[in-house]
Amino acid sequence: MRVGIIGIGMTAFRPATPEYNWKELMFEAASRAYADAGVDPRSDVDSFLTCAEDYYEGFGIFDEFVPDQLGAALRPTCTVSGDGLQGLANAFMQIETGLVDVAVVEAHSKASDIVTLEGVIEHALDPVWNKPLGAHPFVIAGLEADAYLRATKTPRKALAAVVQKNRRNALKNPLAAYAAKLEMDEVLSSEERFAPLRSLDIANPADGCVVLVLGSETAATKLHANPVWIRGVGWASDSPSLETRDWAGGEYARLAAAMAYRLAKIRRPSTEIDLAEVDDRFSFKELLHLEAIGLAKKGEAGKRALRGDYGADGSLPVNVSGGSLGCGNVFEATGLHRAAEVALQLRGDAGIHQVDGVQVGVAQSWRFVPSATGAVAVLGVGR
Amino acid sequence: MTFLDRTTDARRFRHWEGNVEADYIYTSGVAGERFFVALRDEGRILASRCTSCDLNYLPPRMFCEDCFAELTEYLDVPKTGQVAAVTVAYEDRTGAKLSHPQVWGFVIFKGIRGGLLHRLLVPPARARAGLAVRPKLRPREARTGTIADIDGFEPVRF
Repeated sequence: MRVGIIGIGMTAFRPATPEYNWKELMFEAASRAYADAGVDPRSDVDSFLTCAEDYYEGFGIFDEFVPDQLGAALRPTCTVSGDGLQGLANAFMQIETGLVDVAVVEAHSKASDIVTLEGVIEHALDPVWNKPLGAHPFVIAGLEADAYLRATKTPRKALAAVVQKNRRNALKNPLAAYAAKLEMDEVLSSEERFAPLRSLDIANPADGCVVLVLGSETAATKLHANPVWIRGVGWASDSPSLETRDWAGGEYARLAAAMAYRLAKIRRPSTEIDLAEVDDRFSFKELLHLEAIGLAKKGEAGKRALRGDYGADGSLPVNVSGGSLGCGNVFEATGLHRAAEVALQLRGDAGIHQVDGVQVGVAQSWRFVPSATGAVAVLGVGR
Repeated sequence: MTFLDRTTDARRFRHWEGNVEADYIYTSGVAGERFFVALRDEGRILASRCTSCDLNYLPPRMFCEDCFAELTEYLDVPKTGQVAAVTVAYEDRTGAKLSHPQVWGFVIFKGIRGGLLHRLLVPPARARAGLAVRPKLRPREARTGTIADIDGFEPVRF
């Protein structure tokens, strides 16, 4: 059975959203998604999945706070404690069982409500071996960036090319929070934070919400939808201890992609995929992820970034949306935002950042510092 | 010109300030107990050993992630390790600017799977991967059986 994305709803991504509480943010994105799909959540949706982590929310048992703002009161709901793409994979499987025809996936960020963001992220460090050292949690990203640059002989200025591209791309995405036209020198001389990473290499937090409506092929036909098919999904984790993980290769992304490509029957990702949205919350991660999911040979992504291959008019457009560097870090909503942007491109609805002639796209997610967990979705239209 | 600095401070608007009381103790566990007692009392750094996979884990753990065997053997890691990755942090754990940047490293040892994340006791300019280092322990009487019993890793050659 084929499963398609039949509705896309997003709020704008913004540095702060003082006029809305988090439930209202969800209500807006959900309302947009239902309008896009032409569904009434009170009668047409069989299952609702949210993706959230209590510690980011600031209160316990997040799923208890869900139903009403999604139109899901007294209906089947559950929460995936993970990234939005992991939620997408679960919704896909629910529909594949045949028990559910239409499912809704939601993920959001209200990062501006978090007063001690560093403390919340630090809480994900191992409490016995790592956290007592007292390092800022982004030290892990700095170490990983150093390991990646050396293992792949990637020039430092390739990271600046990623930053420059993604923030410029965001100028054409009306939803993006951090669009900017930057010069390479400006990126390379921005404030030092966690060497080799400088302040412009690190995505700034943003608020925002993404809701996708998924349907079986039958439901898509009944609703006269213009579906973007989910051809494959995959997810994986590397060794949970940061001491024993692969620091430079993004093993989680490689394994997740292998699973998704197997399902999607993709044998040569580098020639079969037209467009990619990958996690770029630290500039080097875009390059590392492209190599891990088979869209660049190991050590080539940086050189190709410098050549402009990943620009909107390059041979493989990457993060045409602006990515997280341009749109903002929306935490657990990051992967779902990547999928929504790929789906808009494949539908031809991406507005002024539309890329011509794209048929197959890939969305890739990572669960942020200090995790080594990620997911991949292959989306396509036609056939 | 675009604005690079935008406020993410929603506290200027109507809100309720709250916090989550969340204090814990974190049990070191069987393998952790072996490691931290040996570190505190004898200044040794122990790895646990999987004999069937011929793998030695640092930090030591009670089970092998390759074959799922229970691990009961321990061995000392080599005296000298090597820096596998470095970063220089210009912010402390809360994000506040540091007057003196901190150098952090991931230190690996020959024949050992894993390693230790710790401070590197070198000036930022000398911080580089490949450096041979050894642990600098706190004096015996100051050690309490935690990872902080190691002050950091210092170069073998100054």
